[in-house]
Amino acid sequence: MIRLENINKTYFGAQPLHVLKGINLHVEEGEMVSIMGASGSGKSTLLNILGILDNYDTGDYYLNGKLVKDLSENEAADMRNRTIGFIFQSFNLIPFKTAMENVALPLYYQNVSRKKRNNLALEYLERFGLREWADHYPNELSGGQKQRVSMARALVTQPKIILADEPTGALDSKTSAEVMQILREVNQSGITMVIVTHEKGIALRTNKIIHLKDGVIENIEINNPDLIDFNTEIK
Amino acid sequence: MALSRNKLRTFLTGFAISWGIFILIVLLAAGNGIMNGISEEFSDQSKNTYMIFGGETSKPFKGHGINRDIWFTDKDIRFLENEAQHVDQVSPTINSNGFAYFGDKSCSVNMRGVRPVFQSISNVDLIEGRLLNERDEKQSEKVALIDDALEKHLFDNGISPIGQFIIVNGIAYKVIGVYEGDPNSSGGGALVPFSTLKKITNQSHYWMLRFTVKGLETKEDNEAYTEYLRTQLAHLHEFDPNDMSAVYIRSTQEEYLQTMKIFNTFELFIWIIGFAMLASGIVGVSNIMRITVKERTNEIGIRKALGAKSRSILASIVTESMIITTIFGYIGMWLGMVVAEVSGNILKTIQEGNSVTLNIVPSIDIRIVIMATALLIVCGVLAGFFPARNAVRIKPIEAMNYR
Repeated sequence: MIRLENINKTYFGAQPLHVLKGINLHVEEGEMVSIMGASGSGKSTLLNILGILDNYDTGDYYLNGKLVKDLSENEAADMRNRTIGFIFQSFNLIPFKTAMENVALPLYYQNVSRKKRNNLALEYLERFGLREWADHYPNELSGGQKQRVSMARALVTQPKIILADEPTGALDSKTSAEVMQILREVNQSGITMVIVTHEKGIALRTNKIIHLKDGVIENIEINNPDLIDFNTEIK
Repeated sequence: MALSRNKLRTFLTGFAISWGIFILIVLLAAGNGIMNGISEEFSDQSKNTYMIFGGETSKPFKGHGINRDIWFTDKDIRFLENEAQHVDQVSPTINSNGFAYFGDKSCSVNMRGVRPVFQSISNVDLIEGRLLNERDEKQSEKVALIDDALEKHLFDNGISPIGQFIIVNGIAYKVIGVYEGDPNSSGGGALVPFSTLKKITNQSHYWMLRFTVKGLETKEDNEAYTEYLRTQLAHLHEFDPNDMSAVYIRSTQEEYLQTMKIFNTFELFIWIIGFAMLASGIVGVSNIMRITVKERTNEIGIRKALGAKSRSILASIVTESMIITTIFGYIGMWLGMVVAEVSGNILKTIQEGNSVTLNIVPSIDIRIVIMATALLIVCGVLAGFFPARNAVRIKPIEAMNYR
């Protein structure tokens, strides 16, 4: 599903910063992977490249068998829309749109009719137990509810892969456990999942932990999430 | 897509637009009103009138020295009536000042001996009675047309002055009518037949002669005619035809052209102010649009991450600014037109009872209004377009993390 070959990325500022130094990584279809590392290790940059939100300097990135390189802005937007679902730490919901409208937004960019996309959005909100909150605005929702709305938004287009950037970073431990449980269920439905986190408790709930340090992959740890009790607190 | 999100900002944007258009329209309407008033004033004097004034020679000529006074005489009147080209009617004037008496009342009076034609040249407005006519002139009747100021001073309320006799410098004149006098002059005024006053005062020198002309249409015609007059008068009075101070010649058309020159400058001035107003409106709209787009950078980033193409974001922002500028531009245009129209009607009502003042009725040129509104709308849209284009150029991840 994801194949990275010798990816390099440098930020050219006043002081050029070599953030990713030859990353090689394979993520198979249906895998649930976490990327761990201290801040400044390059994990966010890596996730941005995976999400085609940022470009890289050298190397090759294959997503779903296609080389992602030198895409035009529109091609990148299309690919993001159809193959990737995003979950952000700060939810990134549009504040003046209702939960339903937020969930329906990616479908708007696929030119799905209003009626159809609203119905689909309601269906996904239902799945996350938010059917009654469909007409509420983000500031009327709790953190956990907001993250569930953003998960519904990520899944509504039936993407191949979910990229989650610190999905529990803004949540308390109980809500974090709930969110992780949902993500795991999503993964079990066959969707590939990459989670960036700096919390061990989160990483332990994935199958593969990629440790990133100073722009290189330090080691890849194979993990069996079934060994931990999902009812234990994360933090 | 977000018109209702920030009502205050939308209102401020709209207000800048409405205000710019509103002020421009009111300004142009006021300017137009003044212009119309002026041309109306001139349209009253449909006849082109010439005035010649006697001056003082400044060049020696045929044995005459300089500083010789030039006075007009009956010879000049005869020349104008019988020989000069283009002359329609000659209106010489004699002045005589004194006191007018009626019963135990008196008032200072400026009496003018005029021919009947004077009354049409000078727009004498009759209040009651009749004007001077050719018969009065021919028979040197001792009749007087008095102005409203004199009437007020000499006659009690309820007494009609028509048919009464007033005494000026020992001569009794029968009052035949009352006209609207100059409200700025002190004392009263009276018009009597030219021939009558000429006999009484025995005047034969005139410092000014006035006459109407026919068949002079263009500025060039008038300039040539002025030259012709000067040459002819130089011959009659024996002065150098190039001596510009011996006689002064003025025509109403010349005055009209000069006034129009002033008003063209005035119109230009109004346009400059109007454009400055419009420009400040545009600057206001641009600024608010820029801030609006900046505040939406996060949202733009989210939309791009979710698969929005730059084109669709640009289109929605431009559509939004177009809706705002159009609606508020229309409101400003409408308000401006209403204010211009209402103030026009009020001024019209006020001025109807007072025909001496200039008629300033604001009026608007609808083409200019629409053009100005369209310009503002286009500028508002462009003002939204450029910052929006910059915002969609930012990488989605930077846009999302903005601020």
